[in-house]
Amino acid sequence: MIEIRNLCKSFQEDKELIKNLNITFKEGELVVIRGKSGSGKSTLLSLIAGLLKPTSGEVIVDGKQISKLPDHFSTLYRRDNIGIIFQKYNLINELSVKENILLPLLPLNLKKRELNVRAEMVMSAFHIQHKSEELVKNLSGGEQQRTAIARANIANPKIILADEPTANLDEKLSLAFIEILKEMKTQSKSIIVATHDPLFFELDFVDRYIDFDS
Amino acid sequence: MNFQLLEYALKNLQREYFKNLFIFIVLTLMTWLLGTMFLITNSMKHELNLTLDSLPDIILQYKKAGVSSTLDERQSENILEIPGVQSAEGRVWGYYYFENADVYFSLMGVDEFQTQTRKSFVNLVAKQSLDNSSMIVGEGVVRLLERSYYKDYFNFIKEDGSVKKVFIAGIFQTQTQLESNDMIVIEKNTLRDIFGFSEYEATDIAVNVTNKLEVPTVALKITQRYPNYRVLTKEDMRVSYENIFNYKNALFLGLFVIAIFIFLVIVYERLSGVSSAQKREIGILKAIGWRVEDVLRVKLYEALVISFLAYLLGIVLAFGFVYIFNAPLVKDIFLGYSEIKPAFELLFVFDFETLFLLFFLSVPIYVLASVIPSWRIATLDADEVMR
Repeated sequence: MIEIRNLCKSFQEDKELIKNLNITFKEGELVVIRGKSGSGKSTLLSLIAGLLKPTSGEVIVDGKQISKLPDHFSTLYRRDNIGIIFQKYNLINELSVKENILLPLLPLNLKKRELNVRAEMVMSAFHIQHKSEELVKNLSGGEQQRTAIARANIANPKIILADEPTANLDEKLSLAFIEILKEMKTQSKSIIVATHDPLFFELDFVDRYIDFDS
Repeated sequence: MNFQLLEYALKNLQREYFKNLFIFIVLTLMTWLLGTMFLITNSMKHELNLTLDSLPDIILQYKKAGVSSTLDERQSENILEIPGVQSAEGRVWGYYYFENADVYFSLMGVDEFQTQTRKSFVNLVAKQSLDNSSMIVGEGVVRLLERSYYKDYFNFIKEDGSVKKVFIAGIFQTQTQLESNDMIVIEKNTLRDIFGFSEYEATDIAVNVTNKLEVPTVALKITQRYPNYRVLTKEDMRVSYENIFNYKNALFLGLFVIAIFIFLVIVYERLSGVSSAQKREIGILKAIGWRVEDVLRVKLYEALVISFLAYLLGIVLAFGFVYIFNAPLVKDIFLGYSEIKPAFELLFVFDFETLFLLFFLSVPIYVLASVIPSWRIATLDADEVMR
C-alpha cells in the first residue's frame, strides 16, 4: 500500500507544483492519474519512486517512509519494489534489447543462466523476444516501449509506475500498450499510470482515476 | 567480484572503441617511455656503481701549466709516507684510437709484482701472466678486432710511428660491460713503449686508504703537501659521472615531459566532466536501481582494465626494447660517448621499485581521473541527472 500524506513539492520557492496532496493507493490497484502537462503527475511518480525528495510531507510504502531515505537506501527500495516505464523510455541506445532489459539485475551478480531465463520470460511476455539481440537504437517506438516495459518488470516489482507511456506512440501502438497494461493488472501488481492521453480515460479495468488539474 | 558488472564495463569500453583505444595507446606509450628511461637509468647506475667500486680511493694527477700531465711513478713513495695511506701505485693507462672502427680503446698497464689498483685485475693477473708481447682484451675489443681480421694479435702504432705487435693472450669478462667492453690490459712497460713513455713515467697515482672514512682527510693532506697534484676522491668521480649522466638525461626528460603532458590532458579531460550521454546513462542506471557503488564499480573496472593492460604492455615493450633490442637511439642519448667507444649491451637489472613507481605514475592517476567525475554525477538525484 502506498500512502501520500500532506505531500508538497516545489522546484522554485514561490511556486508549489504539488501542494498538500493526500492519496492512498491500495495493493494491486490500477490507478490512472489524469492531467495536463506540468500539472505534477510525473513529479508525483518520481516522488513515489524515490527519485525526488519532497519539500514536505511523506510517501509511505508498505509502512516504510521512503521520502526521507538516504540515496543508498532509496535506490535499494527502488530496485526491490519499483519498475518504472519512462515517457522517453530511457533505454541505452548502444545496447541490445536483452542487455537493456537485464540492466536492473546486473548489480545482483546473478548467474548467467538465471539472467537468461528471466530475460526470456519477460521478453516473451511483452512480445519482444524476436528482437532480443537487436540494438535499441534500431527499434521502432512500439518495440522500444515494450523493451522499457520488459525492463520495468524484469525484477518482478510489486509497483509499476508508467509516466506518459503513450506520449510517443500512435493510436494503434497505444492500444497495444493498454492491452499490456491489462495483462499486468492480472498479475496483482500496483500500477500507477500518469497520462493525459484520452485513450486511458474510459477503461473498464482501471480501478480509479485521479484528476490532477483540480 | 561482480562478473556481470565487469562484463558491462567491457561492453562500455567497446562502445567507445576509438576513444578508449586512443587512451590505451597514449598510456602504453607513456609507460613504455618512462619504463625505458627507468630501465636504462637502472642499468647504467648499476654499471657505474660497479665501475666506481673497482676504482682506487684517490687518484692523483700531476698538473703542469694547469693541465694534467704525466708524472714520475717514484713520487708514490712520498705519498706512502702520509699516515693512513695503505698503498700508492703509479698507473700507466690511456686511450688508443683504432682507426678502422673509429673507436677508442682503453689501455690499462699492469705489473704482476705490484698491488693491483683495480679489484677486477687481481684475479685477472693471477690467472694470466703477461709478457711484453701479450695482452688481455675485453669482449667488445675482440669483436671489433675480428672485424678487421685481427684474430690473434694486434699491431699498435707507437708514438714514434713504428709498430708494436702484441698477441691476444686471453679475453676477460668483468661484471660491468662499461669496464670490459673497451678495455685492453697490457704489461706496464709494454704500454709505456706503445705510448712513448720513459722508464718511470706514469699517467697518475692510485692511492688506497686503510680507513675509508679517512679518505677526505688523506686527500686534504695530499693537497696541502703537494699542491701540484689534482686530487680526485672516489666520491668526486662518482659526482662527476653522475653529472654527465644527468646531463644526458635532460633530452630524454623532454620526451618524458611531453608524454606526461599528453597524459595530463587526458586526465584533465576526464576530470573536467562527464559527457551528457554518460550523465544520462548514470541517471538511468540509478533510476532502475543501481546504487552509487554499482556505478562506480563499473567505472573502476573500465579504468582498471584500460590502464592496467596499458601498464603491462608498456612494461613488456620497455623490457623488450631495452634488454632485447638494446634500446636503439634512446641508449645513445644516455651514453654521450657511445660514438667513440665500442657498443655495449645494457645489463639486465630487475627492480620491483621501478615497476611500482611506473604503476603508481599511471594506473591510480587514470583510475581516479575516471571515477571521480562519475562519482560526482552518481551522487546527484537520478531525476535531476536525467532531466
